[in-house]
Amino acid sequence: MDLTSSTIKSLHQGLKEKQFSAAEVTEAYLKEIKKRDKDLGAYLAIDRDGALSTAQRVDEIIARGGPIGQLAGIPLAIKDNILIEGRPATAGSKILKDYTAAYDATVVEKLKQENAVLLGKTNLDEFAMGSSTENSGYKITKNPHDLSRVPGGSSGGSAVAVAANMAAGALGSDTGGSIRQPAGFCGVVGLKPTYGAVSRYGLVALASSLDQIGPLTKTVEDAAILFGAIAGHDKNDSTSVLGASYEGLFEPRLEDLRKLTIGIPEEYFVEGLDNEVAESINEVQKSLEGAGFKFKKISLPHTKYALSVYYIILPAEASTNLARYDGIRYGTRGGASNLMNLYEENRGEGFGPEVKRRIILGTFVLSAGYYDAYYSKAQRVRTLVKQDFEEAFKSVDVILAPTAPTPAFKIGEKTTNPLEMYLSDALTLPVNLAGLPGVSVPVKGREDKLPIGFQLIGKPFCEADILGVGRVYEGL
Amino acid sequence: MDIKYFAKLARIKLTSGEEKKFSNDLGEVLGHFKQLQEIDTNGVPPMAGGTELRNVFREDEPRQSRLERTGIEQFPEAESDFLKVPKVFE
Repeated sequence: MDLTSSTIKSLHQGLKEKQFSAAEVTEAYLKEIKKRDKDLGAYLAIDRDGALSTAQRVDEIIARGGPIGQLAGIPLAIKDNILIEGRPATAGSKILKDYTAAYDATVVEKLKQENAVLLGKTNLDEFAMGSSTENSGYKITKNPHDLSRVPGGSSGGSAVAVAANMAAGALGSDTGGSIRQPAGFCGVVGLKPTYGAVSRYGLVALASSLDQIGPLTKTVEDAAILFGAIAGHDKNDSTSVLGASYEGLFEPRLEDLRKLTIGIPEEYFVEGLDNEVAESINEVQKSLEGAGFKFKKISLPHTKYALSVYYIILPAEASTNLARYDGIRYGTRGGASNLMNLYEENRGEGFGPEVKRRIILGTFVLSAGYYDAYYSKAQRVRTLVKQDFEEAFKSVDVILAPTAPTPAFKIGEKTTNPLEMYLSDALTLPVNLAGLPGVSVPVKGREDKLPIGFQLIGKPFCEADILGVGRVYEGL
Repeated sequence: MDIKYFAKLARIKLTSGEEKKFSNDLGEVLGHFKQLQEIDTNGVPPMAGGTELRNVFREDEPRQSRLERTGIEQFPEAESDFLKVPKVFE
């Protein structure tokens, strides 16, 4: 059995049956990272010792005949905006170059309790602001399917780690598509959970009304396993929801699933959508129809406004969240002559161009003279975007759409024009505005071509529905 | 957009090259936002957060922080248990 191309599910099975040890599994992944990551640039930091010591602990439990959970001894990668105590957490920014996390994010604490092996921290666009991982303050991550192309972003490092067999699964964060879009570009599965399903305690905040942590994996089943491990209420995150349950998450009930009606939103198939992407989604629909699902055309009329709404609300919240990086609490102070200069110089030098652009934009839309015309207006249109989904979900259970308008684009292709870059999130960000769960699943039969992802969008806390439909597709 | 003014409000020092580039970039982005004005939002409530959750309360109990030391160690300037900050009043 080739360990690094395996799923979480089959690695767990093998560990349980003692076909191989956890140490062997971890060594195999570390070797793969050593071999491939110099070309791909998925990781910012590797924790070899920590990974091997966890693996050894799992092997001891297995040797004693103790029970192991599904993630015990499974090598995972963590996006570098999620804190692991005692490890660096840069969020892809030079301003956090010397920062060491003082505590574990709740999701990390949960993975540690499961004895998951944490291999290292993955590259991202600075503070998760970007759609290509080209905005990292450290390096550019490359798409393993074509090294001249971007992996998507902002969780590009996590997507590449999984796609290139340098991790069995990974965590990312998704504010406007940052898990789903790179998953689509790299040919892996990426789940953005319902807002409030997973604790964000210990996630470097970007836009707090939109951010969610979620898994990137090789299969939909693995995404369900990882999601199940990190979901749940946390008293340290007041937006995490109490009492959510996900019936059928691990053991989908096929007869119930086939009763679901899937909606196709006409507004997602308009100008700007690549022909190959449109055709692929068509084929997915045909496959699912063949499997017994009913389809229905739906309308989400405010879709075309979602991009504007998002790029007002996100910078507004980000400008507030990033005010803490002022040169006082983090980083180096420098020799500024007074307090104002110290702020301005630290932030001017520590932040990259996209972060500066968005902070200034956020400051603008929140400023006294423009608040009503931009921020307040965007919040109202956000309500309309959400109501579109609520209306649609009266007649369908799941929505099928492309994940991104195009397959992975070339490195450097969109870096000079921010608006063009923003458009690559156009089909994922409405889901964040509405707080819904969405999963990107690779279209099958594209082994020799650039991957294309399709997105399944569900009702709040109906992760089991979208993952269930995804699993049916995978099994076809 | 008066880029210098908003950069000042955001406490970010820009180079003159950045001022010019951001001014162009954001001009284009703000142009795109104009489309929102065509929607009638009279009577539509603003969506302020990601959920419908109301206030969430917990007991306010004192507890020992594990983070006290690491907090001090991470701080750019500290002396024994005190954090040093630059002069606030001139």
